[in-house]
Parts: sequence; C-alpha cells; structure tokens
Amino acid sequence: MNARALLGFLGLLWAVPLQAEPLVVAFERWGATQPSAEGGRLLYNELGCVNCHGGSTGLPARRGPQLAGVTQRVQPEWLRSFLSNPAAAHSGSTMPQFSSLNAAEDVEAVLHYLGGLATKPTKKPKKVGHVNAEHGKELFHTVGCVACHAPAKDFQPAEGLPKPEDFTHPAIAFPQLQQKYGLQTLAEFLRDPLQARPDGRMPRIDMEESDALDLAGYLLEFASSDGETAQKIHPFAVDPALALRGRGIVAAAGCSSCHELPKEMGAVSVALQSGAGGCLEGNAGRKSPQYQLGAKQRAALKLYLAQREKELPQAQLVELTLQALNCAACHERDGRGGPDAARKAYFQGDHNLGDTGRYPPPLTGVGRKLQPEWLNDVLEGKARVRPYLQTKMPVYGTATGGLAALLSKVDARSEVALPGGDDAAGRKLMGTQGGVGCITCHRWGGHAALGIQALDLSSLGQRLQPGWLREYLVNPAAYRPGTLMPSFWPEGKAANSEILGGDTARQIASIYAFAKSDNGEPEGFPAVSGGEFELSPQAHPIVQRTFFAGVGTHAILLGFPHGVHLAYDGKTGRPALAWRGRFFDAYATWFSRFAPFEKPLGDAVVKWPSSGGETVRFEGYRLDAQKVPVFLLKVGGAPVTDRFDAVDGGLRRTLSGAAPALNALGVTHPAGVAVHEENSDSKETRIFTYLWK
Amino acid sequence: MEMKPLFLLLLSLAGSALAGTPYEIQDILTGNSPSASRSKEWKPGSGIPLEVSGMDWTAEGKLALAIRKGEVWLVDGVLGGDADKVKFNLFATGLHEPLGLLRDGDSLLVTQRTEVTRLRDTNGDGLADEYLTAGRGWNVSGAYHGYAYGPRRDGKGQLWVTLNVDMGEFSDNKAAWRGWAGIINTAGEFEPMAAGMRSPCGLGANLAGDMFCVDQQGTWVPTTPLYHLRKGAFFLNPEGIASQNLPESPLKLSAKVPEKIPYPEAIKALPEMCPPAVWLPYNKMGRSGTDLAVCDAKGKFGPFDGQMLVAEFTDAKINRVFMEKVDGEYQGAAFPFLRGLASGIVRLLFAPDGSLMVGMTSRGWSSLGTKAYGLQRVRWNGEMPFEIKEMRALPDGFELVFTKPVDAKACGTAAAYSMTSYTHLYSGAYGSEEIQAEAHSISGVTVSPDGLTVRLKVEGLRALYVHELHADGVRSAAGAKLEHADAYYTLNRIPKK
Repeated sequence: MNARALLGFLGLLWAVPLQAEPLVVAFERWGATQPSAEGGRLLYNELGCVNCHGGSTGLPARRGPQLAGVTQRVQPEWLRSFLSNPAAAHSGSTMPQFSSLNAAEDVEAVLHYLGGLATKPTKKPKKVGHVNAEHGKELFHTVGCVACHAPAKDFQPAEGLPKPEDFTHPAIAFPQLQQKYGLQTLAEFLRDPLQARPDGRMPRIDMEESDALDLAGYLLEFASSDGETAQKIHPFAVDPALALRGRGIVAAAGCSSCHELPKEMGAVSVALQSGAGGCLEGNAGRKSPQYQLGAKQRAALKLYLAQREKELPQAQLVELTLQALNCAACHERDGRGGPDAARKAYFQGDHNLGDTGRYPPPLTGVGRKLQPEWLNDVLEGKARVRPYLQTKMPVYGTATGGLAALLSKVDARSEVALPGGDDAAGRKLMGTQGGVGCITCHRWGGHAALGIQALDLSSLGQRLQPGWLREYLVNPAAYRPGTLMPSFWPEGKAANSEILGGDTARQIASIYAFAKSDNGEPEGFPAVSGGEFELSPQAHPIVQRTFFAGVGTHAILLGFPHGVHLAYDGKTGRPALAWRGRFFDAYATWFSRFAPFEKPLGDAVVKWPSSGGETVRFEGYRLDAQKVPVFLLKVGGAPVTDRFDAVDGGLRRTLSGAAPALNALGVTHPAGVAVHEENSDSKETRIFTYLWK
Repeated sequence: MEMKPLFLLLLSLAGSALAGTPYEIQDILTGNSPSASRSKEWKPGSGIPLEVSGMDWTAEGKLALAIRKGEVWLVDGVLGGDADKVKFNLFATGLHEPLGLLRDGDSLLVTQRTEVTRLRDTNGDGLADEYLTAGRGWNVSGAYHGYAYGPRRDGKGQLWVTLNVDMGEFSDNKAAWRGWAGIINTAGEFEPMAAGMRSPCGLGANLAGDMFCVDQQGTWVPTTPLYHLRKGAFFLNPEGIASQNLPESPLKLSAKVPEKIPYPEAIKALPEMCPPAVWLPYNKMGRSGTDLAVCDAKGKFGPFDGQMLVAEFTDAKINRVFMEKVDGEYQGAAFPFLRGLASGIVRLLFAPDGSLMVGMTSRGWSSLGTKAYGLQRVRWNGEMPFEIKEMRALPDGFELVFTKPVDAKACGTAAAYSMTSYTHLYSGAYGSEEIQAEAHSISGVTVSPDGLTVRLKVEGLRALYVHELHADGVRSAAGAKLEHADAYYTLNRIPKK
C-alpha cells in the first residue's frame, strides 16, 4: 500500500494518522492517556461492539451507513477495496475487516448483493451546476469541517497557520475521495450526510446546493468550473447469481447488526464469553470481524467489560454523549472540550464581538440555561441565534433525540425564582431612552443593534430560563469567560436606580417579562428608513439615472434636500414626473441583475403631459456650483437650458434660450400643482413655479 | 496489517495554481458580498463596491475606473506596489451601469446603458461637472441583458461601441441595433458597422489599429469568439438582424440564416457571414470571454508584445491569443495564460509600466475565485516563461515558436505532439458541443537549428476547423516542461504557400 498516495490528497496541515487502528477521536483526546471504564464504554459503543454483543451503553446508537443505493453513491471499484480491507481504504475506519471477504470473488459477490439494494432514482439526474473549488476550500476551513477533519496547509487562517504541535488530538481521515465519490454524489452526501449515515456521527450543516458542490469540488480537487465535466459514478450491473451468493456472505457476517438491511437479514447476537480473549488480546477468532485495536483501546474495553452492568451516573453519560458525537470538538463543558489551540485558528466570526463572536458557546449548565424546548430546537436545527459565527452548528438527527431532556435533567438545580415582572419597565430598561440600553449592542428581531451586533434578544423569553438569566446578568463573565458584556447589576446592585427603584430582581424579572411578551420593541431604534440604499439628499441634490416607470429607460432622477424631487426624461429632453417626501431607493439600479422600472419612494406624484412642441435633442447636463444639474437641450438646433431648483413646497423651473426656441418648445405643466409664471425682463428666460396644492 | 501512524507534512497542491508562472497577482482592492453572486438580494460588502466595468489611464497617470453601480473613481498610486497607499477619489456618480471607459483628451468617455457620456471636470475640484451626451442612437428596452460596451478607439481614431442583444422581460431585438457594433460619428450618432453579436462584452484595437471584440457563448454562439470588426460583416447571432432593414444599415444578408448545420457549412450558406478570427474552446479556455488587452509593453510583460490577452469571466482566468494574417484575413491561436484571479474578470488594461490591471465582478453570474469584485494587478517578474509563443499555419501543418530553445531530441519526434480538429454546430441552441472531431497524424517534425522553432507536418488539415494541439512531450533545452502544452488554432484558411 502506498502511504503517500493515501496522504497525498489535499496537503494536510495536520497529518492524519495512517492507521489500521479504528479512530474514535474523543477516546484519543481524553481516554487514551489513562485507560478507564468510561473510555471503554465509549469505544464499546462507537466501534459498534454493542451492536452484536449487546448490553446498553446509554449512548446514541452507532450504526453503519445505509447500504441501499451505495453503488450509486460510491464508485464500485472503491467499495471493492474498502470491503477487502477497510482500514487500508479508509485510515482509522471503524468498519472491521472480515475474513469471509479475504477472497476477491467473495468481495465481488457482496458487491453484487449491495448493488441489488439500489434505490430507484426518483427523478431525472439534475444538471450539475457551477463549481468553485476555491470557495469550497474557504467553506471547508470556516464552517466547521476542520473541527473534526484536518485543515490543509494552503489555507491561511487570519492569524496564520497553527503549529503542527498545537494539534492535541488526531483528525478524522478521508478515504481517497476522488476514487470513492463522483462530484455530484459527494455534494449530495455533504448536503445531507444523515441520509446516508443516519447515526449522526457525520452531522449535517445546512447549506445551499451550490455550497455543497463547491465543497465537493474542493475535496475532489476539481479544477474546472463546469460540474458537468466531473467524474460520475460508474454504472454497476448486478449479476443475480453473484448477488445471491453475496447475500449469504452478508447474512453470515451479521452485517445487519450495524447496517440497515432487509428484514430477513436479521442481526447476529453474539454473547460475550468473557472480558478477555478475542479482540481484546489482539487475536480475534478467524470467523470474527477483525478490529485492529490498539493496546490502550483494549485496556479500556477490558475495564469497561469488567463492570458493564454498572449504571453510569447521568452526568457522566452526558459527557460521554458529547464525546461520542464530538460536540466537544467545538464546545467546552465543565472545563473540558472546545477546540484545541491549533484548531481555534479556524473558528472565525465577528471580531467586534471578541471571543464570543467566533467560538461556539460553552455548554456548562446549558440544561438550566436554555428552556428544554429551545434546546431541543437548537439540536434539531430550528433555532439559531448567532449568525455571526462562521462555524455552523450542525444537526445530528436521531442521535440527539434524548439529549435535550438529559441535559435539562442533569443540569437542573433549585433556582431562585424571579419576582413578578413589569413588562413596560422591562421595555424601558432594554432601550436607550433612560434604560440600560441592551439594544446598543444586541440585535432585536429585524432591527440591527446600534453598535456592535451581538445576539438577537427578541427570543430571550423563549430561549432562556429565568433563574439562569438572573445569575448571568449579575456576573456575565462568570458564565461566558471573555465576554464583552458588562454587568448592569454589579454585585447585584442595579446601575439604574430610576426604574423600579433600582430593585435588581424586579428589573431582571421585568426584562424577562417584556421579552416574553408581545409588547413591541425596546425604545431607541432609529426611525425606519427605506433600506440600506435609499438615497436621501442632504447637503446637495442627488442625480441618478435609471429605468423609471412613467418616464422610460432614459430617466434622470434629481432629488433635492428639501424633499421635492424630479424625474427628467433624457430621451425627450423634458421633465416627466415630480414628487414629494422620500426620494429614491437605488438598490435595484445599483445592484440587481434584473433591475425593474423603478418608482418614486415619496408621494404626491405629478406628471407632465406630453407636448406637441418641437422635438428636443437632449445634450446632457452640467452641474453648477450648488451641484444642481442644468439640462442642456437643442431645440431646432438652438441651445436651451432647463434648470430646476427646490423652493418651499415645490419646484422652480428656469428655461433659458433664444425666444424662438423657447416658444417652439411647447412648454407643458403638470396637473396637481399650482403653476405660476414669474414676470421676466428677458424674452430669453421663462421661470415657472410649481407648488403642490 | 500493522502500520505505524505517519505524520507527514505535505506540500500544498490546491494553492499552487500560480507556482511556476513568472506572473504575479497583486491585490489592489477586492471585496466580498454577503450573498451569492446570483442572489436576488445581492449586495456589496463594506467599502467601495469596486465592480470594475471600465478602465483607462488619465493624462495625470491615475487609473480611472467605472463601476457597475454607476460611478467613476480616480485611483492614485496603483503602480506603486503598496496596496495600502492606493487612494480612491470619487469623480462621477449617478450613471446608469457604465460598462466601458475611455480617456479622450481632458475628458472621460463612459458608455452607459443609453448613451456615451463625456465627463469633464471644468473647475478643477476633482469632480466631474459636465455629463454631456457624446453618443446615442440605439434602442434601450429595459431588458436586463441590453448592455452597451465601449468606446474603444481604432487606428483611424474611430470610436467603437458594441451592443448586446436583449434577453428576458422587455426584450426588443427588432428595435435598433441590438447585437450590433458601430462607431460614434462626428455628429455623436451611433453608426452601425457589423451585426451578429450576442454579448460582445469587450473590444479593442490591435497594434495595426484593427478593431476586435470578444463575444460570449450562448444562443447561436457555440463558444467564445474573437471577431475582427469591420463594416458590413455579420458574425454569428442573428437575433438582432432586423435592424438590417433600417436605412443606415451597411449590411443586408443575401440568404436565409441557416440553422442546425456544422459551422463550416453555415459559412458557405451565408456569404456575409465572417468567421471569428479565433475561437476559444468552451471549458478548455474558460466559458465566457469578456475583454481583450493588446500587449504593447515593450518587453516589460514578457515575450508577448503584439499579442492579445483575453479576459474570461467564469473561470476567472486570462488567455493569450496570437494572430497572423492569411490571405488578408486574421486568424490564429489561443493559449492558456493565467488563472487564479479573485473573481469574474470583466476588464483588462495594460499600465504604462507594462503591468496588467484586472477589473472584476461576478455579480449576476458565478465565477471561480473567492471574491465578489475588485481590482488586481498582474506583474511579470522578469523570468522567461517556457511557452509556445506563436503558432502559425503552414500549407501542410503548423509552425511553433517557443519562448526558449527546446531540446531538439525530445521535440524532434512526432510522439511529442498530438492534434485533433473539430468544429461546432451552428444553431440557436445555447452553446454547442465540439462536433466532427478527428485526430490528425503528425508526419514530420523539424526543429530549427536555434531550437526556437518547430515545424509540424500535419495530415488532413481542415479549413474552418479548430485545430487543438497538445505538445506534451516538448522539453526546453534545460529539460523543463511547457507551462501550457495546449494550443487552439482556428484554421479559417489554410495558407497556399
């Protein structure tokens, strides 16, 4: 076997051990230094021992991947090599080797049996879209993949590449992905790994189809942008006779203990003779599945088996569950877990929020912090409050089914109840108008915070438990080390003595009551403006060309600070519309691929009727010292200028040019405004004032 | 099986796109969008949304940049080598998606959707105060795809503008001059010259002063073509041909537009149809060509003076084109050149110091690269790359000129080369497969005494087909492989001698 070939992929920063020993990351991280019964329990579950040998670990079931359709997801050639030697095809694989698959023809038979489990394609294969492997690389190193898998050397985290020695525990290796997957099947797997692997050990990160393709493109080192040219899964034709023979091998090997197979392939139950011998001595019987267990793994398993009837305290069960699912890769709980020094570099987010803006929250006491329903929603992917974390919290499927309840139970303690709250006082407290100003830093629903963008508090009443909130607000740093959140009730004394007489408990209870209520939002958000790209003339008029309904494709918008606005038609050389109030939202004109014919943002729109006058040639405009555009026209070859200024309650229009040209124009005026023509000394100037009625 | 854990640190593979090339990419200013490039809610990140859509140098040596939101910026210090010292000053605002910019004396000409506009700062405050209509006369329907590009000046001083055909809502390709190229005459009117374009996103004149433009794969356009623009020519896309009935049209097709036939047959069926000087095969040379820049760097950009660099959007890369004249018509070869730019490339411009400015935006489509828009600069570090510099057609094969002497032994054998040729289907479908592909045998190889030129005798050359060369066995005298061993020659005409 060519070690370089196996590792050559991706240029990994942290080398992945090329090992026959099955890898359970949390065991390597915590259980290997000092073998313990707990570590043994983790292995007994995570290596699938429990699936044949029975007993109950209390941990989420560890299962093998779905085999139905496997020859449509994975290249048959790769399956052959994996079946004959799993650890060689996928370093650290927890799939044992079977002596009944030592002969190539037996592997072939099993492959044909698996091919026969193919699922019927439900729809026509979709065209594979655009692939951007560079973007995939960025995703891989930022959304959380590298919490479990090895980062590559050629991705530079913001603070530089970590030192190899700062990786405290191994990463989960990849098989040779180019041999295993097609671009599309890998993308489908990444989009929802729980389909193929319902046991949740590879959880699902919600992502767009295009992101999954980019990620797959990166992992497969796909250089082109055209996904259609990527390798597809080679069609596999099933030989029924071979499949039948393969079925026998699969049944005898007891594959269905770990993999979901048709019912008639019932699981094999093998009672353990003793807590020694077999795998535990490194020499399993010829018929048994072969695990290449390391010495520490064997020691831990023995310790566990010696006392496996003993029930584990629930607190430890929580800890082991978080290890089994590798929650501990990202989250710290009770001082254990979270990313190691090296992997921290890949956790990025909003640097304005300090460490809390980039690292996932600690899980210490999370069962008394979050309401059980909310915690469950978090685990099911329904609730997310930290959009600024680039690392995304994944979903583990059924594996976390009982976890929220277990956490609530383990973390529960007797809480000091909050007194009754006054939600009006709570609203005031949270706002900036005489309150403590939570919204200065915290978002509220659709409202951006006034300063830094810390997590949305509008769901606080649904999310948090009151007892925890009370303690947290008095001393945030004790619960979230490194948080930027100050205490407004230091040592329990309210900084704001005005509201509710400075009664700490009542103030906090009121905040809670308000957040739980439907009584609006805290005071102090700025008045709603149209959008990020609304043009609001301040010191000078604003000119913007666009497609505009009622004007056409050559509209030139002119907005004045005085709140009166004009749309000039650059095609006909005449004013077209005027309105009052807000001017224009430039978003679509500036940034939409499919910009529509836009409309005024304001009201009292008036329209100039078309003129029977001479055709005008529009020649552009010149900005004067006040940045007012003077429109340049030719009427019958003679120059005319057309200028608009804002006046109180309306617009003033000045037309200048030779008298015959001005006459030939056929000036019209909009209905809906009072029109007044000023007396002019000169026949070469006509001045009109338009005032809204 | 007992294997010891191996802890190996391996060299990077994925990030080495640029390893080996003496062309270095420098970021001037690039930015990201919080939304995907095709998102309906696309918006820029913070800072200047530098979706570069037009570039030229001002008389004072500043880089004038048009950006898609409708502004022109004057950029100081881009050639200084320190991106932190680059200064951006806003010069003009409120324009309607300008997609081209050209300096003209003390003014800047920008092509908005509706007109060419002359921008001028008359009072010296650094801001344009004149926005004068300098060119007009094409229809604008409001369809998103109705882009207008240019102007670019040819050797006679004529200003050329190109116009997309419309697509989607409000489309009106029967109206004036959609899918045409033309010049802005002295009266400031669009004067049509050539028809048959789909999305002729970039144009420019070669050193002889002849005007070229890059079109994009799509309906009727099987893969990115480079056209030599001239009066009365029809190229590929007939969707805007109705304008030939307008009195100003210099063109009237004498036959029905053929469909669903191989391109060499279509050319025979339609006398006014002019073949592109060069095809850039789909995927092999990227997907959507967008701009061209002619290298006149007096050796400061390496050995490619006189050649064209062609920008490509989807793969964010730059290709290189060598042209020659056969029977008075341009044709030539395309070579891969540089990949790994930050976003979809839309504009290329050589700087006075021989470096190449690259303007990018991927909004609305998607591209490789990790940024949404921006400006980068490509510099040559002075090392001679080992490339096929030129590829010329011969009556019985091709002549390859290399940038460095080759190893006569390795390159003197036919096994060092392989060649296939193919064409495309001419049809209204979106793009075309390569069709009628055939392998050619190489029946003779002659290496010149100086080792710089190799003549290949190729059997069965086919006029109007793309001839794709792979010179995988070529080695330099020093034993190096070619940086790009593939080349794509558009053999419109086989020279007679």
